[in-house]
Amino acid sequence: MLPEGDQTMKRRCILASAVVGWIITLPTIAHAQSATVAGRVTTETGEGIPAANVSIGGSSLGALTNDQGQYSISIPAARMTGAAVVVTARRIGYAAKSVSVVPSAGATATANFTLSVLPTGLEGVVITALGVERQKSQLGTAQQEISSEALNATRSQNFVDQFSGKVAGMTITGSGTPGGSTKITIRGSNSINGDNTPLFIVDGVPVSNDDRGSSYNQGSLTNASSPGIDLGSVINDIDPEDVETISVLKGPNAAALYGSRAANGVIVITTKSGKNTGGRLQTEATSTYSFDNATKFMDWQNLYGQGTAGKFSYVDGRGNGVNDAAAESWGPKMDGRLIAQFDSPIVNGVRQPTPWVPHPDNADSFFQTGNSLTNNISVTGGTDNAKGRLSFGNTQIHSVIPNSSFNNLSSALSGSYHSGRFTASGSVQYAQNRAYNRPPDGYNTSIVQQFLWWGRQVNMQSLKNQYYTPNGGLFNWNSTFHNNPYWLMYENPEYDERNRLIGTVTSNYAVTDWLSATLRGGQDYYNWDINRNFAQGNIQWTNPSYAGAFSDANQGSTQSNVDLLLNASKSIASHLSMNGLLGGTLRRTVFANSNISTPGISVPGIYNVSNAAITPTVQQFSTDQRVNSVYGSAAFTYNDWWTVEGTGRTDWSSTLPAHHNSYFYPGVNTSMVLTNAMPSLRGRVLSYAKVRGAYARVGADATPYQLQTVFQGSTSKFGSIPLFSLADNLANANLKPELTTSAEAGAELGFYDNRITIDASYYAKDTRNQILNLVIPPTSGYGTQAINAGRIANKGFEATLGVTPLRDAHGLDWTSTFNYATNHSRVVTLTPGLTSVTLASQWSATLTAAAGQPYGQIMGYKYLRDSTTGSLITSGGLPVRGPLSVLGNVNPTWVGGWNNQFKYKRFNAGFLLDFHEGGKIFSTTNMMCDQSGQCANTLRGREVDWNNPGVVVNGIDKATGKPNTTNVTSEQYFLSLWLIHEQYTYDDSYIKLREARLGYDLPASLTRRFYAQGATLSLVGRNLFTHSKLPNIDPEFTYGTGNSQGFEYATLPTNRSIGLTLHVTP
Amino acid sequence: MTAIYREHAMTKILGGLLGLAVIGSAVGCNTDNITNTNHNPNSPTSAPAGALFANATVNAIRRWVVFGSGAVVTQQFSSVLYPTVDSYVSVQADGTSGSFTSAYTSDLADYRQVISAGKSASQAGIYGPAMVMSAWDFSNLTDQWGDVPYSEALKADSGIVTPKYDAQKDIYAGMFASFRQAATDMAAVPSGAPTLGSSDPIYGGNLAKWRRFANSLRVRYAMRLVNVDPATTNAELKAAFADPGGVFQSNADNALMAWPGDGVYDNPFSTSVASRLDVRVAKTLTDQMVNDPRLSVYAMPVADSSVYKNGYGGEPSGISADSAAKWFKLASWPGARFGPGVTSYGVYGTSDGRKAPSYVMTYAELMFLRAEAAERGLGGLASSEAATDYYTAIRASMAQWGVTNEAAITAFLATPAIAYKGGVAGLKQIATQNWIALFSDSPQVWAEWRRTCQPSTVVPGPTAIVPYVPRRYYYATTEALVNGDNLRAAIARQGPDNFGTRIYWDSKPANAPTCQ
Repeated sequence: MLPEGDQTMKRRCILASAVVGWIITLPTIAHAQSATVAGRVTTETGEGIPAANVSIGGSSLGALTNDQGQYSISIPAARMTGAAVVVTARRIGYAAKSVSVVPSAGATATANFTLSVLPTGLEGVVITALGVERQKSQLGTAQQEISSEALNATRSQNFVDQFSGKVAGMTITGSGTPGGSTKITIRGSNSINGDNTPLFIVDGVPVSNDDRGSSYNQGSLTNASSPGIDLGSVINDIDPEDVETISVLKGPNAAALYGSRAANGVIVITTKSGKNTGGRLQTEATSTYSFDNATKFMDWQNLYGQGTAGKFSYVDGRGNGVNDAAAESWGPKMDGRLIAQFDSPIVNGVRQPTPWVPHPDNADSFFQTGNSLTNNISVTGGTDNAKGRLSFGNTQIHSVIPNSSFNNLSSALSGSYHSGRFTASGSVQYAQNRAYNRPPDGYNTSIVQQFLWWGRQVNMQSLKNQYYTPNGGLFNWNSTFHNNPYWLMYENPEYDERNRLIGTVTSNYAVTDWLSATLRGGQDYYNWDINRNFAQGNIQWTNPSYAGAFSDANQGSTQSNVDLLLNASKSIASHLSMNGLLGGTLRRTVFANSNISTPGISVPGIYNVSNAAITPTVQQFSTDQRVNSVYGSAAFTYNDWWTVEGTGRTDWSSTLPAHHNSYFYPGVNTSMVLTNAMPSLRGRVLSYAKVRGAYARVGADATPYQLQTVFQGSTSKFGSIPLFSLADNLANANLKPELTTSAEAGAELGFYDNRITIDASYYAKDTRNQILNLVIPPTSGYGTQAINAGRIANKGFEATLGVTPLRDAHGLDWTSTFNYATNHSRVVTLTPGLTSVTLASQWSATLTAAAGQPYGQIMGYKYLRDSTTGSLITSGGLPVRGPLSVLGNVNPTWVGGWNNQFKYKRFNAGFLLDFHEGGKIFSTTNMMCDQSGQCANTLRGREVDWNNPGVVVNGIDKATGKPNTTNVTSEQYFLSLWLIHEQYTYDDSYIKLREARLGYDLPASLTRRFYAQGATLSLVGRNLFTHSKLPNIDPEFTYGTGNSQGFEYATLPTNRSIGLTLHVTP
Repeated sequence: MTAIYREHAMTKILGGLLGLAVIGSAVGCNTDNITNTNHNPNSPTSAPAGALFANATVNAIRRWVVFGSGAVVTQQFSSVLYPTVDSYVSVQADGTSGSFTSAYTSDLADYRQVISAGKSASQAGIYGPAMVMSAWDFSNLTDQWGDVPYSEALKADSGIVTPKYDAQKDIYAGMFASFRQAATDMAAVPSGAPTLGSSDPIYGGNLAKWRRFANSLRVRYAMRLVNVDPATTNAELKAAFADPGGVFQSNADNALMAWPGDGVYDNPFSTSVASRLDVRVAKTLTDQMVNDPRLSVYAMPVADSSVYKNGYGGEPSGISADSAAKWFKLASWPGARFGPGVTSYGVYGTSDGRKAPSYVMTYAELMFLRAEAAERGLGGLASSEAATDYYTAIRASMAQWGVTNEAAITAFLATPAIAYKGGVAGLKQIATQNWIALFSDSPQVWAEWRRTCQPSTVVPGPTAIVPYVPRRYYYATTEALVNGDNLRAAIARQGPDNFGTRIYWDSKPANAPTCQ
């Protein structure tokens, strides 16, 4: 916290600037005698198109249509020339049209427009940086839109999962858990250690995309180094039903005006707002109910049960029987022989052996059919001057994991008031997320992990029926390393609740017909309570001397943002018009976290700090960050075909040292609509051609508190002695901003009356002066050091191909869009003496950024091989671990999405295929499955009396140099593959049938009975089919949105969901 | 009309620009103080020396004075479930890198802060103990890895990010200098001058005891060089014994950490056995302890006495997982005094095990080293003193481990195997008894075994991945990645980075009479 006086002063500064800025732009009315151009803009079916922009060419005169599609433009007498003027109507998603009229003083000339829907939006009005609407034809940068309809074709458990496949150049990886993380990158990763996820904007205001992923630390519970539940990202608080459009600004060029955080691209979300309904209320509702199932199970073996070396007998699951502490299935053949088991009956104190038989479904049957119910209802109403919209949404998900659920409640209210030159609008979104028992992932408590180390003979029903023994102990097949999975989910409740409020207030004043001023304030606040409880007897997380343990965290985040903008749009000479913007922003982000935990409580079941038997650990952490900015842009358009725009911005960041805390970055872009410049180009084949190019630079600041090395206090005293230690990170008082420069060139082409469109971009980005918490030699006394070093270059190509293969008079309509993107990254340099930075590590495999190599290389051990022949070297008949080597790169070679929409009379249908080609992953699940003898491939060589008993590894014996002939057991062979990462590194290519939908518009005669104009009933499905060569696991997984990707362990399978959606329109 | 229109427009443009100027000034008035926002509210930029010292000491003792790989490869302990340390598989870089790196980044970095703060304030009562502990910490690194960063270590904040690896000979010279200077400077501390006081979890700020500890450690590390540099050994022993601060006088001087046992700060040995059920004492150890009254302290009675009829016995080391599992009930658990009480797999030992002290150095060890020095005529001692010192050492060890039955001790000392024989046979007895007395002090049992080859029954088991007991650990993987040049220079000087390369003080086994 700052001293109170200091804060007050700052508040005054903000207020003073806001108030004075506002007073200066107060209304002064000026009117002139005029001619009028008026008319109506409609769709092909005759409905009025509201909010279309109608303008008079060569002037800055224009107007927006009202909700009936009507407009009126008055031309001041001074501007009258007596000649014909060209009037053009434009609206997002429609092809612009122009007509010629001759205005005369005191009279009204009529110009009506019928606009046709554009399949892939080459032209029209789009929302660009800072919420400014621009003609797409004038943009020199790449951006792509997702409409509400395309976004919500099917519903996922997570909002951002619904972007998948819909934007060229966006790579999306979901976690498969309700409310879990989704990793998004646009055009590859720029930063070695920093954030590589895009910036989210809601109604003009930046909002938080904080992600806890699985890295969320529960404090200092005994042995709790990584309890691993994916808490997901807060962007999922947005209700997709409230989204009107999403504009994706793909690179630094498009996003230069957003400053520091724009280098990774910007996702601009515009929420639905009120309409002029003539004062009536209109109601719209959507309901979806779906069944969810796990898509992929392990390929288990069902011939051999628990034990090692073929032997097993149960006494206490702690090693007192024969191999009964073993969590492996290298035991006896499950041929019905009688063996004492954990669920064998005990008669007179003697455990009676029972048949040793397989239970092939034991692990898979733990998963159940989940279900999701999503409802949204909204009410809209308004007049010409005042409009409002109120919506409620609710999602209830019962997971495929027992006793795990996720609930979301959302509400949005927006309103606007328009009077003369003054417009005020505001929106509030409230969301409440409640997750109960999110399924754990990662090592130890993960549900999938329970089955990776397992006895294949275990009868799941026994575990489900009972999880306490008569004397109060835990009832399980193993008592050493594992918990009964049902007991884990029912007795160790995790609960977290997040309340989120996003509010924006905007006031706009049209100073003249070409200049407007906007003052906008927004705040994004959330509070998140995260509780984890561990019951007595939990093997991993509690101190067994006590009655259980718990951790309770509370996190709060506030982002506030104040913008003052001046917008100008003016014709400055004949054939030359200008769009300009000047603005300033004050931004502040405050985060606070507190956490109470204890590894031991006194009385079971009371997870309250007053019940702590071991002195609780209390942790506190807060950050405060400010950025102040001024910026401007000016775009000049010549003759409606050539636009040149320049942008500039300076940021002052609190996280950089005073002598480096301001940084300026410029940008320039241009676009040329060739078919307007040379109308002769336009013909039967070519209908539209535009080329564009852009260059921009974007700066980025550091995370807070990297300038001074600190000492960290321990959260628990040693007896009565307080403990402090020097931080592991060596700070740097001379940090400089990180800089990304980007150049891009693109073309947008339309053929055959725009029935085929191509929007393609090539880009090259270069990020320097990266702020790294570089891993330095630990012998230097520090683990990491904050430095500016390193340079990453990304270049890539992305294209969207839109085709309308069918559009006939009978109402049959088929549109098809294919998005494609490829990105190549290269870590150009790091810092002298440093060749590699570790991004993540798991089981001795590391993910690195190494100089001269692509970003995200997986390093691990290979097999030891003969250098000339490449044959495996064996020792004692077993393969040998070889050198640490590069095993591949985690990034895909290309990603794509193929989206198809069909319409025929009352029917509409669509499907979306997601393509992910290339990229490697290291799968610990597969390694563990081999170690523990669970997976079907470990049957190789098990049977000693087969024709080829045991395993003879095809290789060269290390000692003799001759071909290996030593026969080893299957168990010895698979155990020897431990940490030979090469064996478990896979190609992560996949194709997913991400979305499919078949809808039917109910007849009006039916819907009128429900007081509805129309209703559509749809059968919807998500993740229906996956094609992948990856064994045992889902190729799509993530544990968070950080840079640690490509390492898999005990991942939960993606859900396949099939359901019904009813959409009722007013 | 037009003119008026323009004028309005101009006014508004100017007004707009002025508005921007205002926001600009707001931005400006913030930038004056904007960096104040970046003052870290969570952690200070300086910390009390005592809090740093206590933290470093807790971390260092937790890491080193626990049954670690060294105590397993020299066969004081063995595992019945996943015997991968027994076979040396998990003693490779993956298993030991963490200890190496955290020693530097946590405790040594903190000791350095205490030393520099104490020295700049000329407070030997603060920096003296930190110098002693820091030198001891470094000894664990060099004894287990060989050449390690020392003179340039811990100095990233002074611009040395990639420290060179020093030769072990030079590190030892530095350690001796530290012990000498610490003992000398602490002697000069006037009464009433600042000490660590209650923040010193070993001696509570008692500088007289710290001087004895410094001199005793000097004896330990002097003896470690005896096979390669007997002249230094002799000189350092003489200096240590001659220092006015003296060496340990009794068990009351033992350098130990008394653990609160509060569930957060427990004896690390008890924490280890609380989380696993596969630790057993090794057969090599129990074979050496026939008739030894300490056996019932070190080990629990076996659950199944079909192999060990007298109720105590260890598991053979380095056998296959399948064979090891058979020893589940046949071999003894570590003694009840190390047990944490209730564990996830049942009750083991007493909950007082969490409060059991960890010994950094004991009077018993000092007397064994003194006996050896006397037998070899080093340090100005006469060989006639060897027998007395040897018996004193064993008795001190008995007392330290809570054996009070005088009759049993007397009888034990009189058994032919134990009664002091003198000469090389005597040296072997001293070495073996020291190895037993050092029970569970992993770096010391391993180092003393390498130096003396005693007990000679420590031989690799059938599953060992190298046909010898490891002589050192592999270097840390992080260092290979980010300090490669310096590491390669060390390897070029010292020998290949593997288990077999002998570190400096271990490089002349032919000079060790007990190895012949």
